Amino acid sequence: MASTARLFYMAVWRDWLSLKRYKLNFVFELFSSVLFGLGMLLFALAFDTALLQRTVGTTNYVSFMIFGIAYQSWQSVALWGAAEMFRNELGSGQIDYTFSCPFSRYGYMICNVAALAVRSTVFFVPVFAVGLWFTRATLTPLGLLLGLSATALSVGALAQMGACFAALVLRHQQVTAIFGLFNFAFQMLTGMFIPMQVLPPSLRMIGIVALPQSFGMDLLRHYVMGTRTVLDLPYEWAVLLGQVVLYGLLAQLAVRRLERTAREQGLHYL
Amino acid sequence: MAIAIRCSELVKEYRTKKTVRALDAVDLEIEEGEVFGLLGPNGAGKTTLVRVLATLLRATDGRAWVGGYDVVQDEGEVRRIVGYAGQDSERSAYFRLTVRENLLYFGHALRGVPLRTAKERIDTFAEAVGFTEQLDKHFSTLSGGQKQLMIVMRALLHHPQIVFMDEPSKSLDPVTADRVRGYLVDYAREQGMTILLTTHNMDEAEDICDRLAFIDHGRIRFVGTPRAFRRSVTVQETVEVAMQDGDAIVEQLRGLPGVTRTTTEGTIRLYCDDGFAVLKEVVAVLDRSGTRAAVSMVEPSLEDAFSILVNNGKEAADG
Repeated sequence: MASTARLFYMAVWRDWLSLKRYKLNFVFELFSSVLFGLGMLLFALAFDTALLQRTVGTTNYVSFMIFGIAYQSWQSVALWGAAEMFRNELGSGQIDYTFSCPFSRYGYMICNVAALAVRSTVFFVPVFAVGLWFTRATLTPLGLLLGLSATALSVGALAQMGACFAALVLRHQQVTAIFGLFNFAFQMLTGMFIPMQVLPPSLRMIGIVALPQSFGMDLLRHYVMGTRTVLDLPYEWAVLLGQVVLYGLLAQLAVRRLERTAREQGLHYL
Repeated sequence: MAIAIRCSELVKEYRTKKTVRALDAVDLEIEEGEVFGLLGPNGAGKTTLVRVLATLLRATDGRAWVGGYDVVQDEGEVRRIVGYAGQDSERSAYFRLTVRENLLYFGHALRGVPLRTAKERIDTFAEAVGFTEQLDKHFSTLSGGQKQLMIVMRALLHHPQIVFMDEPSKSLDPVTADRVRGYLVDYAREQGMTILLTTHNMDEAEDICDRLAFIDHGRIRFVGTPRAFRRSVTVQETVEVAMQDGDAIVEQLRGLPGVTRTTTEGTIRLYCDDGFAVLKEVVAVLDRSGTRAAVSMVEPSLEDAFSILVNNGKEAADG
């Protein structure tokens, strides 16, 4: 087995063991995921569905919100998973052992983030299923496949951004304030809870150009719910692919730079 | 004998607000199959040297080779053939996993040991050091010493050619430390493995190290066998007097001609240049006072040598 595949498989195994060791917590996390989805029904009552109809061409506010929320669980893992992992390893001293192993730091990060994404999917499925239930009229197998492909692609781009954040954590250790700011921006600018079409053009542009979540979610909603997209479909796919490549390069640079600093100054000195 | 580790003019500087030179032109050669100890006071540069050799840090100047590979240019190869057990390792595993699960994860995922082989080795290691009962306990429930033991096992699981151990028996009780040391040395001999360990435990250094180096202020001050180390720094001889109720003559012993220094922790130690001359004087004092005592000339311990070197270093640093 190739080393990255082996690490990915073992990291999934490790996370699964940790997860099932606390059974009650595991069951309740699943349960709250379903409850969260159902709670959106109440939210929908208070929302102006006419606005949603005008901007994206649907009145299905329940699924619109649920997909945004479900997506957020993957986003958290992709963006903060590597950073959180390194913060823990720095705190515990495990990072020395990890970094003495014959594995690229970048590969280690991505494998672990992918394993966390698998773990997160367990909790993503119930809430996502509730969202799908309300899209019965528009849902097709091909639509679901394309929607999930777009999601996977954008999560892939986010994982590269996550590698950059992880480099920040290792360099500066305490970056909670930066995380908070980005989290807020991501929720507001990417159409997670409100349609991107209602944003002022300048803010919308940030969401379109810089944040892979925007088109990940936009395409998912389009293929599953039949909503109108912000840009034409081919442009959205092209931007998404471009973001994967761009953030992939940035991530490699950030990790390489981090490694250089770490090896010059020592991680315990950072 | 082939060389397992070689350092040539190795310099490491940490550049923060002011530059700190942690390694200062270190030259060192460690032979294959040697158990080599690195001694020195806190902050002397021991851990930095180990980290440079384990590819965790890059030297500012000079070069180093591990297993014939350059630690900068062939870092991937170096990482493949070394095992590492660092300091602060008591928390450096997954708390929710058992010892066995942790070792399987690290061995298979990060070191590429086939699963079946890893399982067999874990059982063999555990049996050898009396750790079998702990294998299925969660890491979080282990004592500090048991955690340290797991970390040592982790470093050996992939049968490395060269192992770096930063204070491996720091938190172990004497019995466990002894068992681990014994196993480590037997294992190293059997596998032809080279071990570089840092330690503050002089008994450990004496017991298991073929050779050792003393490092202070980033400079290697001595390289040789533990016996040679003891002899190299202690020009003085020591007469040891063990007695009960001998308080009355302590001052007399201190004042004997030729005695340059005295310690009175437990037994009385009289440091001097001519041990036999002082011994005769001691016997005379004991005779006159009618005190019963056991008198002997003792070789300086490794700890004595260590203290003297550290003090010499301090004096030199103070100018």
